[in-house]
Amino acid sequence: MQIIDRYAYSSRARVVDPMYKAGLALLVIVLCLVLDRPMVGLLAAAWMWGLATYWGGLPVLLFGRVLLAEAAFLLLTVAGVAVSVSTIPPAIGWSWNLGPLWVGCSPASLETALRLATRALGGTAAMNFLALTTPLVDLIDALRRLKTPALLIDLMTLVYRFLFTLLESLTRIHTAQESRLGYVNLSRGMSSAGVLAGQLFVDACHRSRRLQIALESRGYSGELRVLPAEYRRDRWLPWLGAGIVASLFLARVIA
Amino acid sequence: MNPILELDNVHYRYPGQPDPALRGASLSVPAGSKVAIVGRNGSGKSTLFLHCNGILRPHSGTVRVGGRPVTYDRCSLLDLRRRVGIVFQDPEDQLFSASVAQDISFGPLNLGLDGEEIRRRVQVAAEMCEITELLNRPTHAMSGGQKTRAALAGVLAMDPEVLLVDEITGSLDPWMRRQILAIFDRLVSSGTTVIMATHDMRIARGWADMVAVMDAGRVLATDRPDAIFADRNLVELITPEDEW
Repeated sequence: MQIIDRYAYSSRARVVDPMYKAGLALLVIVLCLVLDRPMVGLLAAAWMWGLATYWGGLPVLLFGRVLLAEAAFLLLTVAGVAVSVSTIPPAIGWSWNLGPLWVGCSPASLETALRLATRALGGTAAMNFLALTTPLVDLIDALRRLKTPALLIDLMTLVYRFLFTLLESLTRIHTAQESRLGYVNLSRGMSSAGVLAGQLFVDACHRSRRLQIALESRGYSGELRVLPAEYRRDRWLPWLGAGIVASLFLARVIA
Repeated sequence: MNPILELDNVHYRYPGQPDPALRGASLSVPAGSKVAIVGRNGSGKSTLFLHCNGILRPHSGTVRVGGRPVTYDRCSLLDLRRRVGIVFQDPEDQLFSASVAQDISFGPLNLGLDGEEIRRRVQVAAEMCEITELLNRPTHAMSGGQKTRAALAGVLAMDPEVLLVDEITGSLDPWMRRQILAIFDRLVSSGTTVIMATHDMRIARGWADMVAVMDAGRVLATDRPDAIFADRNLVELITPEDEW
């Protein structure tokens, strides 16, 4: 999570309006689902990889590595679709006899699996593109412009900000415990982890109280209002989006 | 010179605490001065600060800002908090947004300023605290000194007349401390009053032009640094002799 966060902040495409990037990612996901051809999914993934790398300035292999990690989950899911298990030998396709069971796959099941996999791959790549070029503060900004209720926006802002602070507290307390042999064996470890969790809660309570005081000192009146950031809205951006959409439709027609 | 900030015989006890935190604290700060408040842990420095911008309300006694007693209705509190800003000890408690620019814009927005003016103020405050290049960096990726300066910028963007600083130099390296003191000097020369709670006697002696000594919820003495440090018994109360 922290790695993705770091790359998102340093992305060259960060200055671009998050609304545009989110819109593009959503459009690609929808097209992957609707057009439903392996070529479309693969092409979408390639587009997203290319954009994140050349437009966003991401290391070439990083996108692939993130995608690979997600592909592992994807393969597990798709395997269940491709392979079927039954007590009678299947009429078509390939099968192996394992005792009373027949494990096999057919051309039809393979095709379904391929479609599913490429569709999901395209969608996942689109989400990765968004996550690796747009930090959460910018996404929250976009949601604010879309008139999301202020309460939700405030919660997201605070949760995201204090995730890192709490993580720091957690590491600090854990180190302090470990340096006094708090995790020397399983039972001590369990008890220390319990204390850690409790302490973290107390820490969060104190922190929220102090935050409230600091916010009130700056004139807080029930809503965390901040100035929206300014983004670049290049004229060629819509054309890029249109080009991607057109190429996906083209892939659907050809394949 | 007229006092910009006055506390007169202020008493306060935190709910649920047996002992009062302030027992008749009085302080008068001339406009445009550099004040160091010294005193041991628990002597009431932070509690005193929270009275100055109306976060806490004294059980008895009065707080006056610009000669007028503080009133505690919503509208006057907002005005009070514009005039009196507090930078808290731990910047983590103050920075609520993961974007530094957005965090700094919070105060000016609450003052109801328009977008153009807010943008200008964010820029000016960032320049003053030398964090312009950090404006678009995430808060959680910054060092302690950078966070401190970001928190300071968030308060300066509200353009306060009185700046209260609660012991922020303790966790800074000597160069960063010097940089922060230089920022305060620039503020004072443009008319702001800076009041700093500190345990650093060098700051009290060398930087401040007025020192207030606090002990057990009272201000024992307020005077020029050389006068304060000439009184052995007084200074012994707050710090061992070899630390002066």
